Amino acid sequence: MTDTDPLATTFCPAEISGVGLGLRSQHYQDILRTRPSIPWFEVLSENYMSTGGPALHHLEQVRQHYPITLHGVGMSLGSTDELDFDYLDKLKNLIQRFEPAWVSDHLAWISTGQHYLHDLLPVPYTSAALEHIAQKIMRAQEYLGRRLLIENPSSYLCFREDEMSEWEFIAALAERADCHLLLDVNNLYVSATNQGADASEWLRLIPSGRVREIHLAGYEDKVDYLFDTHGHPVHPPVWELYAETIRAIGPRPTLIEWDTDIPSFERLMQEARTAEQTLARLAA
Amino acid sequence: MTELEELQQLFRDAMFGDKIALSAVGNLVRPVGGLSGEEHVRIYRQTVLGTLTRSLGNIFAVTRRLVGEQFFDAMAARYIPDAPSRSPDLADYGESFPQFIREFAPAAELPYLGDVALLEWHWHRAFHAADEPPLDSEALRAAAAEDASRIVFRLPASATLLESRFPIRRIWQINQPDYHGSDQLSLDDGGERLIVWRRLANELRIDELDDDTWQLLNGIAKGQTLEQLGDGANISLLPRCAERGWLGGFDTL
Repeated sequence: MTDTDPLATTFCPAEISGVGLGLRSQHYQDILRTRPSIPWFEVLSENYMSTGGPALHHLEQVRQHYPITLHGVGMSLGSTDELDFDYLDKLKNLIQRFEPAWVSDHLAWISTGQHYLHDLLPVPYTSAALEHIAQKIMRAQEYLGRRLLIENPSSYLCFREDEMSEWEFIAALAERADCHLLLDVNNLYVSATNQGADASEWLRLIPSGRVREIHLAGYEDKVDYLFDTHGHPVHPPVWELYAETIRAIGPRPTLIEWDTDIPSFERLMQEARTAEQTLARLAA
Repeated sequence: MTELEELQQLFRDAMFGDKIALSAVGNLVRPVGGLSGEEHVRIYRQTVLGTLTRSLGNIFAVTRRLVGEQFFDAMAARYIPDAPSRSPDLADYGESFPQFIREFAPAAELPYLGDVALLEWHWHRAFHAADEPPLDSEALRAAAAEDASRIVFRLPASATLLESRFPIRRIWQINQPDYHGSDQLSLDDGGERLIVWRRLANELRIDELDDDTWQLLNGIAKGQTLEQLGDGANISLLPRCAERGWLGGFDTL
C-alpha cells in the first residue's frame, strides 16, 4: 500500500536526452525535495523487483517528474543456462509499471547450472558463443516485446580460443540479434587497456546506428590492469575517448555511473555538467 | 555438454577456491601485459567474492560492525563457497548466513551474534516484502457479527516473530550509524521477543512484545482460528494488536 495510488499517478514522457544520473537510494530525498534539473535517471532493475516497500514507493514518485531507463545485471545472456522466465516476468512488470525509455543488460554471464555468481563474467569471442548469445537475446526481446540495449563489458582477460576482437564480436552480435547497444566508454577503455588493444581502433568498429545510450564511470588503476570500480570520477583518458566517440557517432544520451563510495548528489551533478559541456562543445 | 558450458562450470569452480580449476582456466587465457593467464582469472575471483561479501556486509551491517570488517570478510569468505546463490536477485542471498554464524567456531565468543544476524535478515526481508492495505476493521466487524469463531487472523506479510535470550534489539539499536544515546548494555538484561515488520510502504519496525502478546501472535502465525486462540492466549489483546498494525488481515473459514 503506497501513499500514492498508482492508477492516479501521471508520469512525464518516457523519452530521454542529455546527461542522466544513476538513481541511488542515498539521493531519493535530495531528488524529491529539490527536483534537480537532471534530464533522466537510470534505475538498477533488480533493486525494484520486490512487490512492495520503500524502493518502489520512491521510484513511483521519481518517475512522475523524470524519465527513466532500466539497467539490469540479471539476464545472464552469455550463460548456457536457459533464460530465467521468473526474472523476465518481474522485469516485464517493471517495464509495464514504469514505462522506461530503454531496457538494458550486459554481454556477460552471471550464472551456470542455476548457480548465480552475481558478477559480469567474460565470454569467449567465438562464432559458437556469438550464435548462442544472439539466440538468447532474440528470445528475451521476443518475450519482453521490445528491443534490448546490450552493454559492452569491462574485461580482465581474453581467451586463447577467441576468433575475433571484442568489438568485432559485439558488432556481429548486435547485427545477428538485431538489438541496440549501450556503449560504455569507460568499459571500452578498460577492456582495450587490459587486452593490449587499441581503443580508437575499436571505436571505428562500433555500429553507430545501434547505439542508443552511453555510460561513463571511473576505473581504478591497479598498475598491472585497470579495474572497473564505478567508485571514482571519470578519468581524463575516458573523457578524451568520450569526445572522440561523440565526434565519430554523434551525441547520445549519456549516463554517469557511480555505484561504490557514492558521493554527494552535488558532486554527481558536477560530473554530469562536465559531460554536458562536452556534448555542447561538440555539437556547436 | 557444450564447450561453452564446460568452460563456464570450470570458471565457476575456479571462482570458489578450486585450485585445479583455477589453473585449468588460467591455461585457457592469453597472458597480456605483466599478468599470467591465471592472474587474469584471479581478478574475477576477487570481483565475485567482493560482490557477494559486500552484499552480505550491507544486509548484515550490525553483525559486521560487531566483529569488525576483517573478521566479517573472512567469515563471509568461508560461507560463500558452500552457499551457492540460486536467485538472479542478489537481495535473496544470505538467508542461511545467520545459522552459519551460530556454528562458526571463531565467533563463539559472541554467542548473540547469530541472533543479531537473524534479526538483520528479517529486517532486510521486511524492507522488500509486498505492500498490503491495512486491516479492514469494517469488514472485521461484519465478519465477527456473523460468526466470530470462523475468523483466522494473519500477521502482516512483512512480519516475522523472533525470540532471543539476548537483548538483540538493544544491540541492534546502539549499533545504528545514526544512534546517539547511551551505549550501555548488559547481556544479563535478559532476552527479547520481537516482531520485525513494516508499516505501509516505508516504516520498518522492530517492536518488543510482552509474553501474552507473544503467545497470541504466535498462535496467529500458526494459523489458529479465533476459537483455538481463545484456548491458550489472551484474545482481549486483539484490539490493541490491530491498533499497533500487528494484524495484517483475516480470512473466514
